Amino acid sequence: MANSYLTSESKKLATWYFTVAATLFGAQLLFGLVAAIQYVIPGFLFEILDFSVARMLHINALVVWMVFAMFGAVYWLLPDETGIETVGIEVGKLLFWIFTAAVTVVVLVYLFIQVGPADATSIWFIHEGREYIEAPRWADIGITVVALGFVANLFLTGMKGKRSGIVTVLMADMIAFAGLYLTGMFYTDNISVDQFWWWWVIHLWVEATWEVYVGSIAAYGLITMIGAHRQVVEMWLWIEVTMLFGSGILGLGHHYFWIGTPEYWWEIGALFSALEPLPLVAMFIHVLYDWGKMQGEESAKGLDRSVITNKPAFTWFVLNAFGNFLGAGIWGFFHTLPQVNLYTHGTQFTSAHGHLAFFGAYATILIGMMYIAVQGKNGIKVLNNSTSTIFATSMIVGGVVGMTVALTVAGYSDVIISRAQMGATWAGYFDAQATTWLTQGMVWRLIMGVVTFVGFFFLAKDLLTIGKSNIHVR
Amino acid sequence: MAKKSVWSDNRFWQRTAAWITGFASILLIWLTFDTNAQIAMGNDSDLKNGVTKRVPGPTVINYKITYEMDKKRQHEVPVIGEKEKFFGRDDYSEEEATELLHLGKLGSQSKNCMNCHTLLGNGAYYAPDLTKAWLDPAWGPTGSMQAMTGKSTKEEAMAEFLQNPSQYPTHARMMPNLGITAEEAKGLVAFLKHMSSIDTNGFPRNFGKIQGAVNGK
Amino acid sequence: MVNEAFVAQDILVDDFLTIFVSSTLVLVFGGFYVGIYTAVKVKLLKTWTMPFAYLFWVLTGYCLYLMGSLMHVNELTAKALVVAAIGLLLLPHAVYYMQDRVHEENEH
Repeated sequence: MANSYLTSESKKLATWYFTVAATLFGAQLLFGLVAAIQYVIPGFLFEILDFSVARMLHINALVVWMVFAMFGAVYWLLPDETGIETVGIEVGKLLFWIFTAAVTVVVLVYLFIQVGPADATSIWFIHEGREYIEAPRWADIGITVVALGFVANLFLTGMKGKRSGIVTVLMADMIAFAGLYLTGMFYTDNISVDQFWWWWVIHLWVEATWEVYVGSIAAYGLITMIGAHRQVVEMWLWIEVTMLFGSGILGLGHHYFWIGTPEYWWEIGALFSALEPLPLVAMFIHVLYDWGKMQGEESAKGLDRSVITNKPAFTWFVLNAFGNFLGAGIWGFFHTLPQVNLYTHGTQFTSAHGHLAFFGAYATILIGMMYIAVQGKNGIKVLNNSTSTIFATSMIVGGVVGMTVALTVAGYSDVIISRAQMGATWAGYFDAQATTWLTQGMVWRLIMGVVTFVGFFFLAKDLLTIGKSNIHVR
Repeated sequence: MAKKSVWSDNRFWQRTAAWITGFASILLIWLTFDTNAQIAMGNDSDLKNGVTKRVPGPTVINYKITYEMDKKRQHEVPVIGEKEKFFGRDDYSEEEATELLHLGKLGSQSKNCMNCHTLLGNGAYYAPDLTKAWLDPAWGPTGSMQAMTGKSTKEEAMAEFLQNPSQYPTHARMMPNLGITAEEAKGLVAFLKHMSSIDTNGFPRNFGKIQGAVNGK
Repeated sequence: MVNEAFVAQDILVDDFLTIFVSSTLVLVFGGFYVGIYTAVKVKLLKTWTMPFAYLFWVLTGYCLYLMGSLMHVNELTAKALVVAAIGLLLLPHAVYYMQDRVHEENEH
């Protein structure tokens, strides 16, 4: 932490958030690896750290590290966008410590208490047992307080300083983000009602508010890294918001095909799901177009140099544009229509889509933001790739894509055997699990998971040391 | 300065974004009211009077549930039939059944079912889907799971398994012991039976109908 | 029993692979269309490659049709798919038109 170039307290806070985020990313991969091993060697850690616990930690660490990095990225860009120091930064720091402490306690309880009796104390103090938002009720309330504090900081700063288009979008988006969490905070005996509201949180986060958040961060990145024109970028941001919310909000329908909800969701889900890839295509062209345009302007001036001021971060941003389209777009689209989803719902296909979509749409851009923070913290003009950057990027990307392909192959076998041929019975399920395609697929998923995990160590090393290297322009 | 085109005006797009988002949100809220009315849990008199509810009341545990092809809707739907004994009784009062379902639903969350199994198709894929587990042939009178536990009824077999899962050699991936008590197991089985009676628009398809290979595969 | 199941089998087992592959290709070809179009416009590719962009859009449309018919989608979904295909055709044109406008307004 010595000799930091940062003068803004907001940016310092951002680096704290990024540090915890990167640590939790490591934890996510570690527990994912445990779960992947259990698919191959079922007795591994049986009744010590069961699959259910490993997976809960895997997906919760995922959600939480992303939220940490998202908060961090906002604290990072606020001083640049508004031209002032973030309002209420001391409260922001306090909330950071509360958040970190709460997450630590939750993780320890997951790890060492694991399950409780079937009563309300388990829901309040151990976990809620609802995929992705398992956090116990006390932590839910804590998270809400922290999120509201964060939103308040964002609003107060946005209103006091210069309110750019990016900040305006973030303000609207983050309040929706915090508000939606509330819909996942009640208990009901009716599983259909339970899952109905549960999807409000999950879907309206990852397919609406988080995507818009990514649009804003991409806009900020294009302006800071390649000097794209703010006017162009912000206009695009508004168009992306239109398309993302226009298709994403009602795209919620594709989760309401089979949970007890009425049949009209088939039509609504199909219609808006078919449109959902379009904004992802638009975001993809937008990045490429701006890059081509800025590079073209530079060449026109007779200057033969790259316009990119942060190579690793830009790589991750381009991977984001591509990964969002690939993971959320392609892998989402091929099993989204109700006619085919009837057979693919709840198979390894979903898992394949989940891996590539979360990584492609969110992990990539958040890692990119971490590199931007490294650049700023070390006062570097042009940040170049180190050997570790290249190892980290290629191993993590290769690993996740490899896992996705392996899970897709496994999922195909799952769909054909257990669903199409055996009518989804337990016997069908076990028959599908025993096929060579599925068992081999799981072995390859594990191998690719190890590749990703090794890649993570290169990433961690790179983030910690690249700033001190002398390959950059200072 | 060139004349401003409306298509390249930020204000125009900002307003468009606000309108589209607002419109989509209002539509979603309206649909939410409609859907929530349709998926609200039914009650005992609905069951007695043969009123079909997408999510029947808890006393559905007093009845036999089957999953049959509906010619008009072109997919299978759960059908609630004559009375059927559940743990030796078919006269659970609305209160008793509600309490049992409450215990089971709480149990399904506190025991973290969803991080190995899928419920209504959502969850993890490490263990079988529980949506229609109650109707699964494996737990039926001639099924392997029921035979394994040595019990004579489906509910007793399920409850026995839930209490001592790691005693029974089901699959290489075994279910761990989650400290489920006898009462909790009864609640969980009631929860499973209730879930199988929910109208899931024909998911899963052809459930239990196809015992072997079809289409020459 | 078997007969009833047969009737309900609205997607043939043999068709699943075709459906998955064609729906993947929808977006792959769609991506090529958009990619080539954009690359030509920002002068990364020569102008004569433009017809290939449209060729890819046609392939996208074909894959969408193949996927939809094997899935036996209903009428409304079929219409939604056509709208999505046309949307994809227009999207890069709209992007280019607007980008150009804004660049002009900002630079001159």
